[in-house]
Amino acid sequence: MASSSSSGLTFKLHPLVIVNISDHYTRVKSQMNPPPPTSATSNSNNSNGGENNQSPPRVYGCVIGVQRGRTVEIFNSFELLYDPSTHSLDRSFLEKKQELYKKVFPNFYVLGWYSTGNDAEESDMHIHKALMDVNESPVYVLLNPAINHAQKDLPVTIYESELHVIDGIPQLIFVRSSYTIETVEAERISVDHVAHLKPSGGSAATQLAAQLTGIHSAIKMLNSRIRVLHQYLVGMQKGDLPCENALLRQVSSLLRRLPATESEKFQDDFLTEYNDTLLVTYLATFTNCSSTMNDLVDKFNTAYDRHSRRGGRTAFI
Amino acid sequence: MDSAVAQKTWELENNILAAEAPDPSSDSIFYYDEVAQAKFLKDKPWANDPHFFKRVKISALALLKMVVHARSGGTIEVMGLMQGKTDGDAIIVMDAFALPVEGTETRVNAQADAYEYMVDYSQTNKQAGRLENVVGWYHSHPGYGCWLSGIDVSTQMLNQQFQEPFLAVVIDPTRTVSAGKVDIGAFRTYPEGYKPPDDHTSEYQTIPLNKIEDFGVHCKQYYALNITYFKSSLDSHLLDLLWNKYWVNTLSSSPLLGNGDYVAGQISDLAEKLEQAENQLIHSRIGPLGTSRKKEESQLAKITRDSSKITVEQVHGLMSQVLKNILFNSVGQPKRNEQPVSDPMIEA
Repeated sequence: MASSSSSGLTFKLHPLVIVNISDHYTRVKSQMNPPPPTSATSNSNNSNGGENNQSPPRVYGCVIGVQRGRTVEIFNSFELLYDPSTHSLDRSFLEKKQELYKKVFPNFYVLGWYSTGNDAEESDMHIHKALMDVNESPVYVLLNPAINHAQKDLPVTIYESELHVIDGIPQLIFVRSSYTIETVEAERISVDHVAHLKPSGGSAATQLAAQLTGIHSAIKMLNSRIRVLHQYLVGMQKGDLPCENALLRQVSSLLRRLPATESEKFQDDFLTEYNDTLLVTYLATFTNCSSTMNDLVDKFNTAYDRHSRRGGRTAFI
Repeated sequence: MDSAVAQKTWELENNILAAEAPDPSSDSIFYYDEVAQAKFLKDKPWANDPHFFKRVKISALALLKMVVHARSGGTIEVMGLMQGKTDGDAIIVMDAFALPVEGTETRVNAQADAYEYMVDYSQTNKQAGRLENVVGWYHSHPGYGCWLSGIDVSTQMLNQQFQEPFLAVVIDPTRTVSAGKVDIGAFRTYPEGYKPPDDHTSEYQTIPLNKIEDFGVHCKQYYALNITYFKSSLDSHLLDLLWNKYWVNTLSSSPLLGNGDYVAGQISDLAEKLEQAENQLIHSRIGPLGTSRKKEESQLAKITRDSSKITVEQVHGLMSQVLKNILFNSVGQPKRNEQPVSDPMIEA
């Protein structure tokens, strides 16, 4: 059912959506499996609590965002009610919520829907079709909530629907699309903050350390990715791996983009910024110096106070 | 595997006490116990102790939503409400949502249709499975720090009379982006006429000159609560994996570009404060010695601390720019001695 998409749309996903879906799922799951009460008779309750683990619930919701040309950017999401009898989403609820969100975020509109689970199912197509009258080509964001420590990739997939002719019948099927994670600076900082619990405050030294280690780990990632590419290319050269021209073209175009900017103007602007920062540093050091001098003079005056009755040198003992 | 090693090294070097990686059993915080909450509301243990609530736990989702909303307002103040529950002496914030109000400093209360919005939203939320009640409000102070202004104090006092338990949270999105760490504060006001038992000193933050009077008049009427964050096991798993895609954004972020006017504003504000301090210093020479001098000293020391803070942030921004320049621009150029950026490491 899932092959790769050919619609040419690029998808950008914000981390807020991922955290939203995860929170929705965790909430519903914990309401279904209440934690064992901390009382004296907890032994029997504990075993009950363990048995109560039902299959993970499926949660449903709507994703909203902006579409500019060929780029679809998903900013936010909210929950929806699922009606198991009709296998569809509660329409009036969706419209009510949409109105509320429109008031606060007037630019966003419904882009699609989300759900949790392992893989896209047939029943999902039903919901997908229902949403098609809100947005003619909705997206389906699927989050796999199973915590698998072996996997290295985000368990989030984005599906689009495409009309394919199968056995002579045109049918809508889900096709997988690729996406990138897009973020604004503020979002990145708060995600960083919560994910890694960075040391907040503290002296200039700890702040510097935090900043530099952040950049350091990012560069380390870049390095490891480049190494992977490098090994692949070496293997291709030796003949161990089949030659893939498309990949070679991509790598060569990537390399040709370096150096990133090499104009005179860039160098000028860069050096101006550099100088500005150094100027600010100079001013700050100046202020620091004058403050210390002021303190020194005051202390001197207090120690060698000529106006005091004791007269002369009443040095600090 | 390399990324895992990098992360572990980073955590080790930063003395990150492996805050017990949340496992499914600790997700119990997400469970809303209706009965226990109703009982707590009836008991009202805070009625006798103005200092009852001491801690705040904010969920990852709430923090993310609040910061993004605050930043989207730009230089305009925005506000919203927070939902959650209480747990002993801690207020737990599970979620937050924005309110469609125009933020101006002179507004005391949200307008009528904001109330309507709030009721609508709470109802739909309860249907969708979020059972918590509103436990507080948040608003942003873009660029001038996390504290309660006069209007905020009176609003919060009103809230604490009629909507207990209620919490006030202030976020500064501009300082967040500039400093690279979240600038947030949680407050509760004392009731009218109550004198706080001890004169606790809160963490110092710079306040622009035009707001400093408002800050000073009211700063004794409320106290700050300790903020910690929590996330579910699924959240932390996802955030871990997110790093695999996120490192690109960390590397490509340019704090210097985004915050040019904020920094310029800070520097001019600092210049004004310096002039004020200078005037005070000149006048004090005529006055009595001793105590009055201490005041100007602390004024000058404050200015020094502010200036070093601005500088440190600027230098951080420049460092990332220089690093990117080295990484991506010096390919194919003859090796020249790259002067390492000397960090003055100004100790305040």
